[in-house]
Amino acid sequence: MRSNRMGWGLLTPTLLILGITGLLPFFYVIYVGFHDWNIFATTGMTFSWANNYRRLVFDNDFLLSLWNTAKFTVWAVGSELVLGFVLAQTLTRDFWGKTFFRTIHSLPLMVAPIAVGAVWRLLNIPGFGPVPYFLDKWFGFEYLIGKYAGQAFATTVLMDIWHWTPFVTLTMLAGLTTLPKEPMEQAVVDGANRWQIFRHLTLPMMMPVILTTLFIRIMDALRIVDEVYMLTGGGPGAATRYIGLHIYRIVFPKTDYGYGSAMSLLTLYLTTVLCWLLFVGLAQNSKQKDGAA
Amino acid sequence: MLRFNHRVIRLLVPLLLLSMVLAACPAPAAAPAAEAPAASAPAGDASWWATAAAPYKGVTIRGVSESTPPSNYVKDVLAAQFTEATGITVEFETTSWDQMYDKAIKDMEAATGIYDFVYIEQDIIYAYLANDYLVDITQSLKDKPELKSADFDESKFTTFINYFKNADGDVFGVPMEAFVKVYLYRKDLFGDADAQAKFKEKYGRDLVPATTHAEYQEIADFFTEWGAGKDIWGTTVQGHTGHPASFYEFFESVAPTFGVYNWGINMENWKASEANGGTMNSAKAKAALNYWVGLLADAPPEATSSTWDEVGATFAAGRAAQGLVYGENAAWIATDPDKSKVVGNVGVALPPLEEGVMAEAEAGTGYIGYYDGGAFGIPHSSKNKEATLLWLQFIGQESVQADWAAAGSRVVMASTYDDPKIVEQDSKTDGYYTLLKDQGKLFAGAPPFPFHAAIREVIAPFIYQAIAGEITPDEALDQAAAAVDAELPKLGYGE
Repeated sequence: MRSNRMGWGLLTPTLLILGITGLLPFFYVIYVGFHDWNIFATTGMTFSWANNYRRLVFDNDFLLSLWNTAKFTVWAVGSELVLGFVLAQTLTRDFWGKTFFRTIHSLPLMVAPIAVGAVWRLLNIPGFGPVPYFLDKWFGFEYLIGKYAGQAFATTVLMDIWHWTPFVTLTMLAGLTTLPKEPMEQAVVDGANRWQIFRHLTLPMMMPVILTTLFIRIMDALRIVDEVYMLTGGGPGAATRYIGLHIYRIVFPKTDYGYGSAMSLLTLYLTTVLCWLLFVGLAQNSKQKDGAA
Repeated sequence: MLRFNHRVIRLLVPLLLLSMVLAACPAPAAAPAAEAPAASAPAGDASWWATAAAPYKGVTIRGVSESTPPSNYVKDVLAAQFTEATGITVEFETTSWDQMYDKAIKDMEAATGIYDFVYIEQDIIYAYLANDYLVDITQSLKDKPELKSADFDESKFTTFINYFKNADGDVFGVPMEAFVKVYLYRKDLFGDADAQAKFKEKYGRDLVPATTHAEYQEIADFFTEWGAGKDIWGTTVQGHTGHPASFYEFFESVAPTFGVYNWGINMENWKASEANGGTMNSAKAKAALNYWVGLLADAPPEATSSTWDEVGATFAAGRAAQGLVYGENAAWIATDPDKSKVVGNVGVALPPLEEGVMAEAEAGTGYIGYYDGGAFGIPHSSKNKEATLLWLQFIGQESVQADWAAAGSRVVMASTYDDPKIVEQDSKTDGYYTLLKDQGKLFAGAPPFPFHAAIREVIAPFIYQAIAGEITPDEALDQAAAAVDAELPKLGYGE
C-alpha cells in the first residue's frame, strides 16, 4: 500500500505534464472539430455539430490524400521490412568491414526529418541536383519530380526507405541475435535446407519482432510530413500530398482550424483502428505460439 | 543501504511540483524607469537614441522575417547598429516564407508574445488589420512623444506606406522593402549577332525585349531552340507544383497583364466565376493560364520545382534568356559576381501586355504587375513595445535607406532614388531603380483580401494540377472559380 502511494506520488509530475501537454490539447481539438472556425473569417468560431465530419466523408481531396498515404505506407514500409530483414540477416554473419558498415548504415537515423527532406531536395531538384543531371547524362532519363507524379511518389518512398531502413535493420538484428540456436541446429541435422529453416523456424520465431516493427513503422509512415514538405511540397498536383501534409495545409496556411481539427481526429481514429488490428494480430500470434509450446 | 523516508517523499513531491510550476512562469518584464527624456532630438543625433532608449537598455527584442536580401541586411547590419546606439539587443530570425507566416500568425493569434516585431508582407496586411493583430504605430508615438525620433517621418516614405495604414491614415507597419516583379532579359543574348540574325530571319523583326505576349512566346521559343546544348532556355517559369509560388506568379504577375485583376474576384459580390460576376474563369483568364502553362515548354527543367528563389538562381546561373523576377533579386543578379554568372548582362523592362492593359493601368483601373514589399509591425502581444517602437523608427530613418537599398534593391523612400549609391547601381542594373521610380505606379500590391491565405489555399491546388498536366488550364480555372464561390460565403463574404 505504501509502495503504491509512493509510486503514484513519483509519477504525479509526469502525469501532470502529460495531462497538460497531451490530454488538454487533445480535448481542445475535439472541441474545435465541432466548430466552423477560420481565424480570417468574419463569422468567428461557430458551433456546427458534426458538419465537419460529414464534409470529410465527401471531401475528394481528403480521400485522395488518405489513398496516397496508404499507397506510400505499403510501398515504403513493405520495402523497409524486406530490406531491413535481409540486412539484419547479413549482419548476423561476420565479414570484413561489418562494424564500419553497421555504423554508416545507422547514420541516417540521426538526421532530423526536415534535414533529410532538404538534402534529398538538393540532390533531386531538376537543373541543380546531381541525380537528375547524371540520370540524364548517363541514361538519357528525364527525371523531374516537379512534373511527373510517379517519379515524385517513388522518390518520397526511396527517401523514407533510406531514412528508416536502419531502424528496421537494428530491431530485426536485435531479434535475430536473441533467437535460440538449438532448433536451427536440430533442423540442419534433420536435413532441412536454408529456405525451410527460414520459412518454418526463423520467420515464425521472428513474427513478434516483425509485427512490432511493422506497427511502429506504419504509425510513422502515416504521420510523415517534414520530409515530403521539403522535397515536393505535396506536388506535383496532389501526388505526394499525404494526409499529414494535407492536414498541415488546411490548419496552417489555410487557417481552417475547425475542419483541420476534425480531419486530424478522423485520421487518428483510422490510425488507431489499423494499429489495433495489428495489435490483435500480434496478440493472436503470441497466443498461438504459447499454445504450440 | 538507504531507506526511503515516506515523510521526506511526501515533502519532496510537492516541492518538485512547485519548482516546475515556477520554472514555467515567464520572468516579469523589467519596469521602465520613471524618468523620460525631454523633447525629440534633431535628425542624426546619436545621443538622442541612447537617451530615449535608456529605460530599455539591456532589453532583447525578437523578430521574424523571410530570409531575403533586405531582411538579411537588417539582421547583419542594422540590428548591430541599433544595439550599439541603444543597448537594446535585436534577435532577428530570418526563415523560409512559409515558416515566417506560420510563426508570426500563431504567435499573434495565440498572443504568446514570442515576437516583438513581425514581417508583414503587403498581401497579408489586410488580414492582420481585420484581426487587430498590430499596434497602431502612429497613435503610439503620439501617446509617447518621448519615443518619437525626429529622423522618423512618415511623409518621407513612398506611397507604398499607404498599404500599411488603416482607414484613418494611421500606420501599422514601417515599410522595410518594396520592389516590383520585373521583366529581366539577357542583354548579351539579345545582343548576340548570330541570335539577332537568326531571329530576324525566322520572325521578320528585330530581337528586342517583348512588349506583347506573342512576342514573348516567340523569343522564348527561339532561345530554347538556339540554346539547345548550351543549357539556355527561353524563359523562367515560377511553376512549383506544390508551393504557392506558382499561384502567385500567375495571379499577381501574369493574369494582370491579360487584364484580369484582383485574382478575378468581384469585390462587390465576392464571386469568382464568370457566371456570378467574377472573372477568374473568364476568357481572358483562361488565355492567361494557357499562355503561362505553355511557357513551361520553353523553361528549364527546374521550372516545375521553382519558387521565387529558384527562379532567381536560374536566371543568375545563366539558364534563361528572360523571365519575371522579383526586384529584390535584381541587384545581386546584375552586380554580384560571387553569386551571379550574368553580371553586366541583365536588362530590365516592363512586362509584356495585352492590348488595353497599359491604358487601364495608366487610368488607375488596372495594373500591369505586382508591387511587392513588406513592413515591420508590432504585435499587440509584444512584451517590449516601447523598445520595438524605437527599433522600427531606427530602420525607418532616411539615413539608413541608401545602403540598405543597394544591398537589397528595395526602395521605400523617395529620396533614396537620388542617393549617389543608388544612381550608380541604377546604371549597373540597366535602370531598374528608374523603372521603379517612374513606372512603379503602374504596378499594384495584392488585393485587399482579409481572406488572402485561405482563398489562396483553395485556388492553388488547381494551378498545381494545371502545371502538372492533370487537368487543362481551362478546367483548372473553372474548378477554382467554383471552389472559391463555395468557400467565400463560409468565410463571411458574399452569399
